[in-house]
Amino acid sequence: MIPDAARHEWYPVAMLSELAPSFAQDTVLLGERLRISRDAPDLPIRITGPDGARCAVATRYGHLWTSPGGPKAGLFEIPEAAQPGRRFVDCGAVRVRCSPLRAVENFLDVAHFPFVHTDILGAEPHTEVERYDVQVREESDEVWATKVRFFQPMAARSAEGGIVTDYAYRVPTPTVALLYKTCPPRPEERDVIAIFVQPLAEDLCDVWPWMALFDDTTPQADLVQFQQMIFLQDRSILENQIPRLLPLDPGLETPTRADLTSVAYRRWLKKRGYTYGAQTVPA
Amino acid sequence: MAEMSLIDSEMSPGWTAVSLSGDLPALTVMPVTVGGVDLALWRGGSGVARAWQDRCPHRGMRLSHGFVRGDRLTCIYHGWSYGAEGACLRIPAHPDLEPPATIRTIPVACREAGGIVWVASGATADLPPDLTGWAPLRSLTFAADRASVIAALGARDEAGILHTAAGGTDLAVLLQARAADEITAHVLVPETAGLAARIGAVRWLETARRRAEGPGPRGIAA
Amino acid sequence: MTVLLYDHVLSPNCYKARLMARLAGVPLETVAVNAYPGREHLSEESLARNPAGTLPVLVDGDLILTETQAILVYLAQGSRWMGAAGPATAATVQGWLAFSARLTSSLGVARAHDMLRKPADIAAARSEGTLCLREIEARLVEQRLRGQGFLAGADPTIADVACFPHVALAPDGGVTLDPYPAIRLWMRAIRGLDGFIEMPGIHRRHDLTPEPQPAVTA
Repeated sequence: MIPDAARHEWYPVAMLSELAPSFAQDTVLLGERLRISRDAPDLPIRITGPDGARCAVATRYGHLWTSPGGPKAGLFEIPEAAQPGRRFVDCGAVRVRCSPLRAVENFLDVAHFPFVHTDILGAEPHTEVERYDVQVREESDEVWATKVRFFQPMAARSAEGGIVTDYAYRVPTPTVALLYKTCPPRPEERDVIAIFVQPLAEDLCDVWPWMALFDDTTPQADLVQFQQMIFLQDRSILENQIPRLLPLDPGLETPTRADLTSVAYRRWLKKRGYTYGAQTVPA
Repeated sequence: MAEMSLIDSEMSPGWTAVSLSGDLPALTVMPVTVGGVDLALWRGGSGVARAWQDRCPHRGMRLSHGFVRGDRLTCIYHGWSYGAEGACLRIPAHPDLEPPATIRTIPVACREAGGIVWVASGATADLPPDLTGWAPLRSLTFAADRASVIAALGARDEAGILHTAAGGTDLAVLLQARAADEITAHVLVPETAGLAARIGAVRWLETARRRAEGPGPRGIAA
Repeated sequence: MTVLLYDHVLSPNCYKARLMARLAGVPLETVAVNAYPGREHLSEESLARNPAGTLPVLVDGDLILTETQAILVYLAQGSRWMGAAGPATAATVQGWLAFSARLTSSLGVARAHDMLRKPADIAAARSEGTLCLREIEARLVEQRLRGQGFLAGADPTIADVACFPHVALAPDGGVTLDPYPAIRLWMRAIRGLDGFIEMPGIHRRHDLTPEPQPAVTA
């Protein structure tokens, strides 16, 4: 049984560029089988649940989105996706044997960069996480972390040499996280990097990284592989956290000031009653 | 700090062999499982072997994926490092912070004797069995239950040590139950055994394992 | 003339070529191919270079090499990485090169299934992968008894480079490495070699760099 709070969120279920003009295929969302189909090239995509009921469909940010219980609101906005000159990069799904919530939480964390993404997103001895701001924005009910600064040896495919990178993080819906970071070729703009997480089960997910960048020169393959390299470095971490489910109650894990985004994310999930992939009772 | 009680686990009381000493060189960490309990077994620069619950108190990452510098075990995820007594000594995200004394790993009794590393459930007054005259050969894991392993080895129990022979070479065997149907055998040969006898024993053990696991899809579970 | 490697960052076989080049000190220029999700390895241009559509592909002037083991031989030729002189060692190295193909079709298949959603008989792939790991473990146990730390001798060769990546990445395909102490020490030795480079899923050895002293920066 899928908790109600989870049924009404938006989830990615496919990459649009991978869908043929007409097709029919199955996928799994929150433990239930969904049928995705398009009978002819000029017809809209249809998604049906296990009971045959039609589900909501949105096609944005390079991906196909659905909400099995009917969405509470429209798909979240990424204003940068409408900005002229941005390059959109689909990275394909990577399957991870972990809670979808652990995948999101890891994406919101900078303190692991020197140890997991060594010499790319971080390096000893530059391990300090300075104080940053975290809030749940009332009007949008989103988790935001801003003024996150971290020293990075090679912040992006387009970066040359180490820089202190400025990050902002945003969680618009429980299984989606975006980051905004210093854009080396266009200092006045921010690159947008996202992970769209499709929960297959409480401890299994497909993670779809996606980027909206200002970068006219780097070949597409290099951009994709840079992001895949980063995410695959995280995968062996995510598959080895105990417990597999994300603990929402304090006590089982030990957050510090560097983990304020994680603390806010867990509280926000708990407040919304979003428990799919979460451990709510201390072990 | 009390050592972790494994009484409720499937781990049997007394000492359980979990590794040959030589398979745990200084400055390394390895995962071991005893009766369904996951441990990080590690050896610092000072040479002492230690066993902790395989979980960093910060975010639950397995410590056995970490690394050892000097006499500290460090978590691979965020670099939190823990000293010999299990106290967190460094949180790299906050270099100026002295970690609170409450941040600690959970230790398990661990001793080294006879070229074998042993762990025990709770405090135990007994000593690990005497292995004088024996030299560690290898550890290998069977996808079979304890009875099938003992039968395939043709072993008899003498004071907590299984004895058998591979061809003309006597073997002493110590069993570690990772789970009911996953048994690791730590095997020793007489100190006097030569190279040919030892290699012969290594190969004999492969055959014994095939026998214990029986037929099936190529003989083993996934 | 530059040696070009058509490369994919997630491919263990591509990593073998990059690792071998670094270890042997051969300069290599990599060209990223968007094989996943872009399927560029099956583009007209890629198939013209390699009709099999596999990666890696090494191009050095007129020479095109499309088999990983051949690429390793090319990069290591004339160096100590080919192994000690003599028919026994040469044949042993060849044996493990051939064996590495079994790793690709077992552990590699399991990994592509678990990570990239590639259809497979996952139980069979994992079962065969476990048998392969046991063979390597037994070999390494014997080698240690002989005082030799690597598959084909006391020093590492292309045989070790050919087998190491799929072994190290076995957990990506749901195959545990926990019960193999000799494999663990062998992987540690390889990860400690001068010129070793990592790939995602194979972390570097942080124990080889000293613990940073408390920051002195302002």
